[in-house]
Amino acid sequence: MNDLQEQKETTLSFEKIKKDILRPMQNHKGLELWIAFLITVISVCAWAYYVQLRDGLGVTGMRDYVSWGLYIANFVFFVAVSLVGMLISSILGLLRIDWITPISRIAEIIAVAFVAVAGLVIIMDMGRPDRVVNVLIHGRFQSPILWDITVVTTYLTISLLLLILPMIPDLAICKNELKKASPLLKKLYNILSFGYINTPGQYKHLHKMIRTLMVLIVPVGLAIHTVTSWLFAATLRNGWDTTIFGPYFVAGAFVAGSAGLIVAMYFFRVSYKLKDYITDVQFDNMGKLMVAVCLVYLYFNLNEFLVPGYKMKTGDDVHLTELFAGHWAIMFWSSQLLGNVIPIMLLVTKKFRKPFPIMIISLFILAGAWIKRYVIVIPTLLHPHLPIQNVPQNFVHYYPSAIEISVTVLSFALALLIITVLSKIFPVVPICEIAEQKGIEVKIEA
Amino acid sequence: MKNAIKIIASLFLLFVFTASVVNAQKWQAPVLSKKKQNPYEASTRNISSGKKIYNINCKSCHGDATMGNMLPLQPVAPSDLGSQAFLIQTDGEIYYKVNKGNGAMPTFEKTLSDEDKWMVITYLRSFDQNKKESKKIVEVKNPEVTDVKLLLDINNENKRILANLTGVTAKGDRVALQGIELSVKVKRNFGYLDISGDDAYTNEKGEVNVQFPEDLPGDREGHVNLLVKVTDDAYYGEVIVDRIASLGIPTNPVNPLDERAMWGTRANAPIWIIFSYVGGVICIWGVIFLVLFQLIQLPKLAKNKE
Repeated sequence: MNDLQEQKETTLSFEKIKKDILRPMQNHKGLELWIAFLITVISVCAWAYYVQLRDGLGVTGMRDYVSWGLYIANFVFFVAVSLVGMLISSILGLLRIDWITPISRIAEIIAVAFVAVAGLVIIMDMGRPDRVVNVLIHGRFQSPILWDITVVTTYLTISLLLLILPMIPDLAICKNELKKASPLLKKLYNILSFGYINTPGQYKHLHKMIRTLMVLIVPVGLAIHTVTSWLFAATLRNGWDTTIFGPYFVAGAFVAGSAGLIVAMYFFRVSYKLKDYITDVQFDNMGKLMVAVCLVYLYFNLNEFLVPGYKMKTGDDVHLTELFAGHWAIMFWSSQLLGNVIPIMLLVTKKFRKPFPIMIISLFILAGAWIKRYVIVIPTLLHPHLPIQNVPQNFVHYYPSAIEISVTVLSFALALLIITVLSKIFPVVPICEIAEQKGIEVKIEA
Repeated sequence: MKNAIKIIASLFLLFVFTASVVNAQKWQAPVLSKKKQNPYEASTRNISSGKKIYNINCKSCHGDATMGNMLPLQPVAPSDLGSQAFLIQTDGEIYYKVNKGNGAMPTFEKTLSDEDKWMVITYLRSFDQNKKESKKIVEVKNPEVTDVKLLLDINNENKRILANLTGVTAKGDRVALQGIELSVKVKRNFGYLDISGDDAYTNEKGEVNVQFPEDLPGDREGHVNLLVKVTDDAYYGEVIVDRIASLGIPTNPVNPLDERAMWGTRANAPIWIIFSYVGGVICIWGVIFLVLFQLIQLPKLAKNKE
């Protein structure tokens, strides 16, 4: 009697999970409106990119001194945020931490979207994007650029696999449940579910593959951000010529990525009505994780600025004075305080780890992370070791042009569009993993 | 109101200008400095090296000495340093003024060595008609000539370069040009090396004889690019001869791009970095393809349902 009732309840629960998670994919008016808005923004900003393509990089604010401007700052930011995929679904996943189950797919979607756009940003920064293949044809093994292009594509591939592979059981459910989906989408579910019907053999085989990739993405994820830092640290420029740039960037990436994930979690929770899955527990734990990664990042910042600031050697002195008290002081201190110190102080209290406050704090952290990238890239370029004589006035200052800002908006809108589309066609919360975790039997019809 | 400001501004500027002009005319060296003596003798050698230093550091503003072709600067044009009005000053006064500078005239305290400054003064003093002991640099008057020719005779064995300067007179005779300074230079990586020596003035036969340095490297065959010219274009316009001569020491140039190094071409990348890159790519992508291969097998596993 008792057994029977429990059995009934569990089947109902599995149905409920399926229903809750698949509902926003079938019927969500606001989502379509949002996609339309993003496409409009992208089309408008694509015109700015067309102007840049037609007239060359002269339409940007970049000149001989600052040849890496807003775009490279964006690139570093996108790569940083994408690292959350490796942190959440791989590192915490391998440690078998269970509260990440409902948010691991969101992390993976963010990783795919941001690393894909990071690659595009590099191409958008090229005056002649048709020559990008030359990097592969003529690239030198000694150049961090070749390593960077390699590692970005590798990370994108593994992230895509880590998005799709754990989703195979869910896609098998989609194939069966979403009868009203468009024929194209049905075909996609059919292909990507790889005939999965949850036999023990399939289950074991699939999880072996996922674990392999989870291990593989750790060195690749570390490499992607370390190599990105080497683009800077492999030069002798003041502010870039430092040995801790690799781990410093990785630590910063965990901060930016976690903040990005928290913001995304909040919006999916509200918009997809997933309060029962993305619960306060997830936000609370993400808040604690955020404090941990922020403290590591703060420690690196202390090393990165205190030690050179104590020595103030020639060249560094100009750079550091400009950052601490000069032209860049407001940006520098706001990124340090609003994007790192104050969030740590707030997030140690439990009430700030509730969904809404932590989302607001994460927005500040994200903004701070972006500003941080900007003050890493641009101020150093303004102080070359060999200054040009009689240099034109527009070489010694850098202000992004309207075209650059539009192309930046384009890249952000593109990243959001990829996230939205992926979350429209794929279930954002893993159905089968949640069910397994709650001890509910997963049934997938053939 | 606006006009008033303009007038006041112009008056102010006028005042400043006048003040600076008055100031410039009153440029006096301190009494003590006047007594300083030139420690170098007025030898041809010193005059010649003084002229070279003058041409590099002074000529661009002051023009050629005695020729009055200085830059027409306002409010005070630079003096002709070969004029008697200028040379009335003592060596010590000139030395003081070269050191200190005034207005548009920069200081040479740090940019020229003491010896260089005295050489310039020695050179300038050679134009002084009141100094009996001074030697004039151009003592011989050459006739008016056209079709100036510079001929080179290079002796490979004892590495001597003989340059001969001649011109055609109004009567149609080709005559030697005497007392003209020649520059003999060798092309190096980043410019020309002057090997003329201290006394490269043509003799009565119009000849200058220069010893090529024993230790100067050339290319693989010992070839060097020689360039001989009349130093001062003011005499006959630009008279230049260049010649490739086998006077240098044969040297095999080392191309830093030939070795395996971080700065090399891709083909010359260090082995370890090629190994790391290719090895890393093969390992990571090998695993990726392995997983993809396993993925394809997933549908087959659906058949054995145990």
